[in-house]
Amino acid sequence: MLKISGLSARVAGKEILKGIDLEVGAGEVHAIMGPNGSGKSTLAQVLAGREDYEVTGGTVTFEGRDLLAMPPEERARAGLFLGFQYPVEIPGVNNVYLLKAALNAKRKAAGEPEVDAYEFLAFVKQRMKLMQMSDAFLSRAVNEGFSGGEKKRNEVLQMLVLEPKLAILDETDSGLDIDALKVVAQGVNSVRDPARAVVLVTHYQRLLEYIQPDKVHVLSDGRILMSGDRSLAQELERRGYDWVRESKVA
Amino acid sequence: MIAPTQSSAAPNVSAALASFEAQWLARESDALSALRAQAMQRFLELGLPTMRDESWRYTNLRELAAQSFVDAPRAAAGAVEPSASLALTGGAERAATVLMVNGHPVLPRTMDSALKGLEIISLSELSRTEPNRLMDYLGPLPEAEEARWRLLNTALFVDGLYLKVRAKVERPLIILHVATAEIPGTAAYPRVIIDASASSSATIIEQHVEQGSETPLCNSATLLVLERDAELEHYRVFATGNRSVHLDSLEIRQERGSRCKQFTVALGGALVRASLDAYLNQPNAQLASYSLLVGHEARHIDCVNVVRHSARETSSRQTARSIASGTSRVIVNSKVVVDAGASHTESQQSCHGLLLSPSAEIDSRPQLEIYTDDVKCSHGATTGRLDPNMLFYMLARGLDRQTAQSLLIFAFLADVLSGMSVASARAAIESALICRLPDSQLLREFR
Repeated sequence: MLKISGLSARVAGKEILKGIDLEVGAGEVHAIMGPNGSGKSTLAQVLAGREDYEVTGGTVTFEGRDLLAMPPEERARAGLFLGFQYPVEIPGVNNVYLLKAALNAKRKAAGEPEVDAYEFLAFVKQRMKLMQMSDAFLSRAVNEGFSGGEKKRNEVLQMLVLEPKLAILDETDSGLDIDALKVVAQGVNSVRDPARAVVLVTHYQRLLEYIQPDKVHVLSDGRILMSGDRSLAQELERRGYDWVRESKVA
Repeated sequence: MIAPTQSSAAPNVSAALASFEAQWLARESDALSALRAQAMQRFLELGLPTMRDESWRYTNLRELAAQSFVDAPRAAAGAVEPSASLALTGGAERAATVLMVNGHPVLPRTMDSALKGLEIISLSELSRTEPNRLMDYLGPLPEAEEARWRLLNTALFVDGLYLKVRAKVERPLIILHVATAEIPGTAAYPRVIIDASASSSATIIEQHVEQGSETPLCNSATLLVLERDAELEHYRVFATGNRSVHLDSLEIRQERGSRCKQFTVALGGALVRASLDAYLNQPNAQLASYSLLVGHEARHIDCVNVVRHSARETSSRQTARSIASGTSRVIVNSKVVVDAGASHTESQQSCHGLLLSPSAEIDSRPQLEIYTDDVKCSHGATTGRLDPNMLFYMLARGLDRQTAQSLLIFAFLADVLSGMSVASARAAIESALICRLPDSQLLREFR
C-alpha cells in the first residue's frame, strides 16, 4: 500500500530524513519508534504533504501512485490520513462542519454523492460514542479550548469518520492518561481491517500494549536503524534507545 | 478670512472646493441658514484634506479635488430597483423600509403599523415646523478638522430623515440610500438624525446602494442620540460599486445608561471614508462598535473611529476586522479618549487585519489618550496572512484550498458577525461577503 524508498527531506535547511526505506502492506499495523529529534514527526508531515518540508530525494508510492507529486488535499482524498501530534485550533470553524466538508470532499473525489445531513449526524454521533465524546463537541470550534486529551480523541474521531486506507498517527498517545489511552486505542483497533493500514508514530511502548503492531521500526537520526516484530518494542522499553545505536555500531 | 456669501474661489482653490461653494451660494435660504453659513465658512477655511493631515495620511483626494460637482437629482430616472441591494427582509424580522434617493426621503403616506413607536419626518418639513428642534441636533458645529465633511453636509443638505424612537420598536427599519445619477460630476448630501427617547429601543439599518449609469459623490452624515437608558442597534452598510466615492460621518451622543451597538460594514465603493465620533457623555453609557471592512479589487476603505469617554463608568468596545485582497487598501484608525473625571471607564480596542494578496495593504492603528486614573483600557492590533498551520490542517483533511481559505476568512470575521442581533441582516451580509470571497458553494451552508 505504501512504499517509501530512500526518502530524504530538509526542514528549514536542515537535513532531517536521511534515506528512509519502509513498506507497509494492506491490513498491517506498523509502529515507528525513536528518540526525540529522530525525524518521526518529519516523516509523518512529509507523507501528509506539508509544503515547507522539502523532499530532497527518494520516492513514495501510495497504492501505486506517486504520493510526493500530489498536493496534501489530494493525498487526503486518496485515503491518507494524518493524526496530528499537535492538532490545530481553528476558532470560528465548527467541528462538525469541518468533518462534513472533509467527508464530502473525499466522496466527491470518488464520484460519490454528498452525504445526507441527517444520516451524517447519526453516523458521527455513533462514532463519538465510541470515543466517549459528548455531543457538545460537535458544535464547538475545531479543537478550540479542547484539553490535550480531547484534541487527540478528536483526531481519532476524524479518522473514524473519514475511514482512510492509511492512517498515520503522530504521537496520538502522548499526553494521554491511561483511560484516554484505552479509548484512543479502541478507536484505532476498530479501524483494523484487511484493506486498511495504520502507522503509529510513538515515543513509548505503552500504546503498543493496547494496539498490537505487526512490525516495529526504530528511527534514529533520520534513518531506520532496526526493524522487527512486537518484541522489539518490549526490548526497547527494557534497554532504551542507546541499545539500538550501540548494537548497530557493534 | 473667507466670506461665506461671496465667491472666494482663489486660483489655488481646487475645482471641487469651488463647486461646493457654488452649490452653497445657489441654496435658498431657510431657517438653518445662519448655522449653515458658519458650517460652510469653517469647511472652506479647512479646505480639502491632504495627506499631510494626520487622519488623512493614507487617503488621497487629489482626484476628487480636480472634479466639479453639481447637486445630484432628487429622484431616480426610473423606478428604483437597486440591483446591489442586500435582501435584508424576510422571516419573522421582516423589516420596514424607507427609501432615500440621493438624500431625499420618499415617505409613504401611511406608515406601516410595524413602525408604531417611530416618528418619521423629513428634515425639510422639520426645518419649517420646528427649526429649533432641528438646530439642537445640528449644533454645536464640530471644531475638529476630522469633522470637515460633516460641516459640508450641514451646509449643503437639502433634505433628510428625522426619526424619533418613542417606544420599544421590535421590527428593524431599513433606510435604503440609493445613489443615482445619469451624468458625471454630481454630489448628494444625505442627512439622517435618529433620536431614541428615554428607555426606547430600535434597530436601524442604513444601507447604501447605487443605481443608474453614474454614481454621485456621497457626503452623508448621520447622528444617533441615545437618551437615558435607550437602546439602539445601528448598521451602516456600504454596498456601492467600484466607481463610487463615499464620505460618511457618523456621530453618536449617549446619555446615562444608554446602550448602543453599531456596525460599520464596508463591502463596496471605490473609496469609502467612514468616520465615527462617539460621545459617552453620561455615566453608564455603553458603546459596542463593530467594523467589518472588506477590501477587494482596488477598493480603498478608510475608517476613523474616535470614542470619547467624558463621564464615569462608561464603557466602549471596538472590534474591527479587515480583510484585503487584490490591490485594495484598508485603514483602521481607532482612538479612545478618556477625559479627566471619567473614572472607572472601561474600553477595549481589537483591530485585526487579514491580508489575502501580496499587493494589498492594511493599516491598523488603535490609540489611547487617558487623562484620568483608575480606568481599564486595552488595545490590540495584528495584521497577517492566513495561518499556514490552520490551512495545512484543513488541506490534510481533504478540503480544497479555496474552501479552506474561505472558511478561515469567515472564521476571522466571526467576532463581528456573531455580534449582529438581526439574523436576517447577518445572513444578508454574509451572503454579500461570500460573493466577494473566492467562490465556494460549501460556504453557503457554513452557517
